[in-house]
Amino acid sequence: MKEAEPIVFVIDDDRMIREGLQSLIRSVGLRVEMFASAQEFLVAKRPDAPACLILDVRMPGLSGLDLQLKLSEGGIHVPIIFITGHGDIPMSVRAMKEGAHEFLTKPVRGQDLLDAVQKAIASDRTERQERAELSEIRARLDSLTPREKEVLDLVVAGLLNKQIADELGTSELTVKTHRAHVMQKTQADSLAHLVRMAEKVKTTTPRK
Amino acid sequence: MRSAESARPSDFLAIINDFGSLEARSIRFGSRLDTRPEMPASHTAPPKLPELFRYVLAVALVSIALWLSLVLQVPFGNPFWFFFAIAVIASTWFGGKGPGWVAVVLSTLVVLYYFIPPADSFVLKPRDIPFFLTFVGCQVIANWLISWRREVEDSLRRARDGLEARVAERTAELKNANDALLAQMAEQRRTEEALQNTRTDLARVVRITTIGELTASIAHEVNQPLAAIVANADACVAWLSRQDPNLVEARAAAERTTLGATRAAEVIVRIRSLINKAAPEKTPVRINEIIEETVALIESQASRNNVSIALELMPNLPVVLGDSIQMQQVIMNLLLNGIEATTGITERPRRLVIRSRTEAASQIRVSVQDSGIGVSEEVMVRLFEPFFTTRSKGIGMGLPISRSIVEAHGGRLWAESNGAGGSIFQFTLPSGGGAIA
Repeated sequence: MKEAEPIVFVIDDDRMIREGLQSLIRSVGLRVEMFASAQEFLVAKRPDAPACLILDVRMPGLSGLDLQLKLSEGGIHVPIIFITGHGDIPMSVRAMKEGAHEFLTKPVRGQDLLDAVQKAIASDRTERQERAELSEIRARLDSLTPREKEVLDLVVAGLLNKQIADELGTSELTVKTHRAHVMQKTQADSLAHLVRMAEKVKTTTPRK
Repeated sequence: MRSAESARPSDFLAIINDFGSLEARSIRFGSRLDTRPEMPASHTAPPKLPELFRYVLAVALVSIALWLSLVLQVPFGNPFWFFFAIAVIASTWFGGKGPGWVAVVLSTLVVLYYFIPPADSFVLKPRDIPFFLTFVGCQVIANWLISWRREVEDSLRRARDGLEARVAERTAELKNANDALLAQMAEQRRTEEALQNTRTDLARVVRITTIGELTASIAHEVNQPLAAIVANADACVAWLSRQDPNLVEARAAAERTTLGATRAAEVIVRIRSLINKAAPEKTPVRINEIIEETVALIESQASRNNVSIALELMPNLPVVLGDSIQMQQVIMNLLLNGIEATTGITERPRRLVIRSRTEAASQIRVSVQDSGIGVSEEVMVRLFEPFFTTRSKGIGMGLPISRSIVEAHGGRLWAESNGAGGSIFQFTLPSGGGAIA
């Protein structure tokens, strides 16, 4: 699968800063989209690509922190680099708690910002891959019949075919057939692979 | 130049002293009030004799009268009955009505028995009846008169006692009212003090918050273009240092850098004009009045720190054209600094002297001299730098702001060491025309 070109979103109400940041980021070959306010960003169509968000904390209208909250409520995962004129501690603590990727004070040194951007994009890329992988596995598991799911659970629990047959009240042969279907549908190479996939989904299910 | 000692603190002290002695007087008065109702009442009723004793007294008096009559009858030859009248009067007077009647009856019987012939018998011959009746009548009248008189005296005494009690009661009420009044006065004094403190605090808070807000806003205003400059300059460098330098992008970024710098300069100009704009309210200001008002504001703080404030203000000082609130800020700042400078001083009186006078070339000069710790050479040089402070709590903006205010009014503000320890801060202002009384 060919990965989309990474993109950096810059939200700052100050046009000159916005353009400076945009120019700086473009100079290292990254795609940039600029927004003058948080609202503008929320209504814009965002491409499906690894991304990061450069956000001024202090903005008229929706503040940077408000936008961060709105995004995490909406289940939109994008690493945020905050820029603030006065890095007061409670504010940065709040932002970091909500999962801010970086907190930089104004005026930001160009290299610091570029480093932060690269790191944020890299981490978003990994997270996106993980999310994609996870949803792939979930889709495969969802294709199983209820009976196959039961068999899967017991296989993962470490039971032998015979024990599974006893448990489900069927023949060992039937269990073998189900098991073959499970392996096929989940595209598992081995039993170990199957268990890993099942575990991955299990540990992340509560988040949905 | 009239040397008008400001007398404010000393007046205040005098009032306090007066108040103190008034209080002391009242307390003495109060204690007299307290003891008054308990004082032994010297003029209350004569001690009442026990009942039995009063009757015994009547009998004894009649017996004495009888004995005297019998004795004296021998030399005088005539029956001598006057003593019985005395016995009845005395019995009634000292013993009361009952013993009086006893004395009447007894003396009648005694006279009938001993003195009315035939002697030593109760027989009464018809020819002695008028005489006897006259005697009895006299006795009865004496008894009646005396007991009446006694009753009048008693009721008089009772009335007087009642009056005494009422007077005592009213005095106590008066004392309570007096106490309440004293408490009220003390309360009022406390309230006034608290009010004064609040005023001083308020003045300071307003000063500090104004400066704080101003500083924060200036910081933001200047920081924005700086951020833009840094971002664009970095971008410019980045475009130039690429393998294939992009001159178009670099030029655009450089141009934005220039724009950012221009904007920063504009911010500075705006702040300047803001300070200048704060002074368009140029009205004729009577500096002496402002000094007096400001002194009144910080007086309680000064007296709390044991600092006396003396005013030597030149009468008929010419008015100054300016902003009275800013003038007050400057003077307040200098006074607070002066008080602060004297707080550590113990070996000499803590004193602030504020003087105003005219200078040549139509200027006025105001000076604030303190007897404080003084200013060292190094400190003197940096005194007017922003954020320079020698105090743990200071933010170091008072003097720079004061100086900028004075300069915006066309004057000068500077500091000197005071020969006798302490320092003098003074400023000049151009006078704005005619003298005002």
